[in-house]
Amino acid sequence: MGDTDSKARLRRRVYGLAAVLVLQSVCAVFFVGDAIRDLHFSGLSGHDVLEAAVAVALVSGIVFGAIEMRRTIEQAGRAEEAVTIASGALGTMIGEHFKHWQLTGAEANVAMLAIKGFEIAEIAEIRRTAASTVRAQLTRIYAKAGVTSRSQLVSLFIDDLLGGPLPGMEATEETSSAER
Amino acid sequence: MDGSRPVPLRLWDPVVCITHWTVAVCVLLNFTVVSEHSELHEWLGYVALAMVVLRMIWGVVGARRARFSSFPPSLTAARDRARTMLSPGRHGHGEANRSHNPLGALMVYGLWGMLFAVAGTGILLENFGEASQIGEVAEEVHEVTANLLVLMAALHVGGVLLESRLSGINLIRQMTWSRRGKSGPV
Repeated sequence: MGDTDSKARLRRRVYGLAAVLVLQSVCAVFFVGDAIRDLHFSGLSGHDVLEAAVAVALVSGIVFGAIEMRRTIEQAGRAEEAVTIASGALGTMIGEHFKHWQLTGAEANVAMLAIKGFEIAEIAEIRRTAASTVRAQLTRIYAKAGVTSRSQLVSLFIDDLLGGPLPGMEATEETSSAER
Repeated sequence: MDGSRPVPLRLWDPVVCITHWTVAVCVLLNFTVVSEHSELHEWLGYVALAMVVLRMIWGVVGARRARFSSFPPSLTAARDRARTMLSPGRHGHGEANRSHNPLGALMVYGLWGMLFAVAGTGILLENFGEASQIGEVAEEVHEVTANLLVLMAALHVGGVLLESRLSGINLIRQMTWSRRGKSGPV
């Protein structure tokens, strides 16, 4: 997915900015410390005015770098939030379907695990029941949902999630132009 | 199976983490192995000071949770916090995990103040020398504040361990900018 790619890029950017900020801060403190020492030993001179200007430039560089950093972090945070909201919405939608099909608590649990891709043996292990129980529960779930297999069950939700007509399938000019 | 769990994945940003651990290492090195009169001692002191200065800037313009406004110093809030921590009912979560808790915030401000005191007197000492009157006073204050700083750091570590135990959230891991909390899938 391009999503994780951009997230990794954002994270690299945040780390890079942080490293630059740290380096700048160390330089600024050393520089100012050195300038103060010069001042102490040799008194005020024209040279110090220049040094003061450099110090101001360094510190404002840190401040602006920090502001830029905050923007990047907030951007990364929003991206993560969007994923959380999307997965939250999917969870809500699945829950509503389960309610509509009148699944029992155990069945809803098994159905969720099945949708998440666990094998029958794994589900049995997680729920500490026999594989035959899980198989029977799955059969009842499929019957209630009106499907015959797990892949059909999953595709029910995918279908809902994608909503309207698939842009790639219907090669009408309307949809493709609306896409871009 | 509640799909909505709107917790942020990371609590502390890299600036907070890097400055925190750099200061911790510098203080620890200077207090234990590095000779007081060595050049390295001064360098480490400057690096630690730089990190605190950066953290101050970050506290004003930085990420929301790292800003001072997210954890204002408040004695009453700290007292309440201590009471809920010690009461058998344990603390309700909710306001937790946003920034420093009130008790931790007080310690953070205390540590920063102490770091500035140690660094400031260290710089005075370096510039005036031990022989001068200012240097003499600076040396005394430098020693006392350095000891206090390490004592407070120890308390800070103790507080973090206690809070981690009580809340069941690993606060140390949160300071490493790793994904926090319990693992996601069921």
